[in-house]
Amino acid sequence: MDVNDKIHAQLVKAGVRLAASLPDDWVNTLIRRISKDNQIHHVPVCREAETIAICAGAFFGGVRSVAIFGNTGLLTCTGEMATLCLRHAIPVFCIVSGRGSIDDHKVYQEVQGRRTIPLLQAYDYPYKIIDREEEIEDIPNAYEWHRLQKRPFVLFLTKKLLGTKA
Amino acid sequence: MKTNECMKVLAKHRGDAVVICALGMAANEWWAVTRSEDSFYMHGGMGFAASFALGLALSIPRTPVWALNSDGSLCMNTGCLITEAGQQPRNLKHFVVDNGCYQTVETMPMVNQGAADYAAMARAAGIRQAITVDDLAELDRVMPEVVAAEGPYFVRLRVEPEPDYQRAPPANYEGPEMKYRFGRALEKKLGIKVFGPRGF
Repeated sequence: MDVNDKIHAQLVKAGVRLAASLPDDWVNTLIRRISKDNQIHHVPVCREAETIAICAGAFFGGVRSVAIFGNTGLLTCTGEMATLCLRHAIPVFCIVSGRGSIDDHKVYQEVQGRRTIPLLQAYDYPYKIIDREEEIEDIPNAYEWHRLQKRPFVLFLTKKLLGTKA
Repeated sequence: MKTNECMKVLAKHRGDAVVICALGMAANEWWAVTRSEDSFYMHGGMGFAASFALGLALSIPRTPVWALNSDGSLCMNTGCLITEAGQQPRNLKHFVVDNGCYQTVETMPMVNQGAADYAAMARAAGIRQAITVDDLAELDRVMPEVVAAEGPYFVRLRVEPEPDYQRAPPANYEGPEMKYRFGRALEKKLGIKVFGPRGF
């Protein structure tokens, strides 16, 4: 069982039955695994903010969901996270690639690496960075906690954790 | 047709549908006509009512779900048509109230006003059933077919812009209160659990 299998398994354990996603090369393996799981309905989208609204809708259907995308996409949908989720106190669980870290040397990820966390803090969106494999077991706890927080929550997956070469 | 009259015809044919309203005049008029609590009136997230409705529709597949979208919101997120088509939700009907303007902000004109064919865009995205309705009699005539058909079904409702007219928004529905009223209404209506034993 590799890291992505473990994340997938913990999402299932947390009760997740719907996943909305937009590809990023660090999270594509996870998206592919989830898309093959008949327990989880997979919704590929055209832009990241759709995942936020789809998951918010699923919340009211009593279905636990997850939004999966890259760090750049997170920057594009913080407004919808605020005006939909903060406004109506709707929890949405996001899994996001922690792009722009010190071991990510893609020049187009540099701004995301510097500004994402301060932006989340400005909005008061809670987050957790998962850097070690044993922390994956925290996902069910994080899921319950984000429902209690009643707002978007971001779980960052690091390059070190994922072992990606991209 | 005027938006309020259009909403009255939709309400007549609604049946058991749960309705997700984009912020603005569609939401305000739907509230004025129905006062329904099993409808969600978005205060923000402009462009994403259809995505919200899709997530709900996929989660309660045996319940009809209507997205009551607006032209301004659709234009902000036309990709929602492609995402919706990709899912082909049988229980989702997508209405777009098209008044050709941003009614709640001084009726400023829509981009490419009157020239964009939203029904054609929906068909091109992969939603096979997509129509435009221009008057109340026609709407009343087609609604039984729209309701009976399997989704997705896209209906563009061409209504008049109403300058200097402003319907008040659903005033007693504050943001978090909306969440709980809507969630509790769905729990009661559908026998599902939206909230946990401790209310969150």
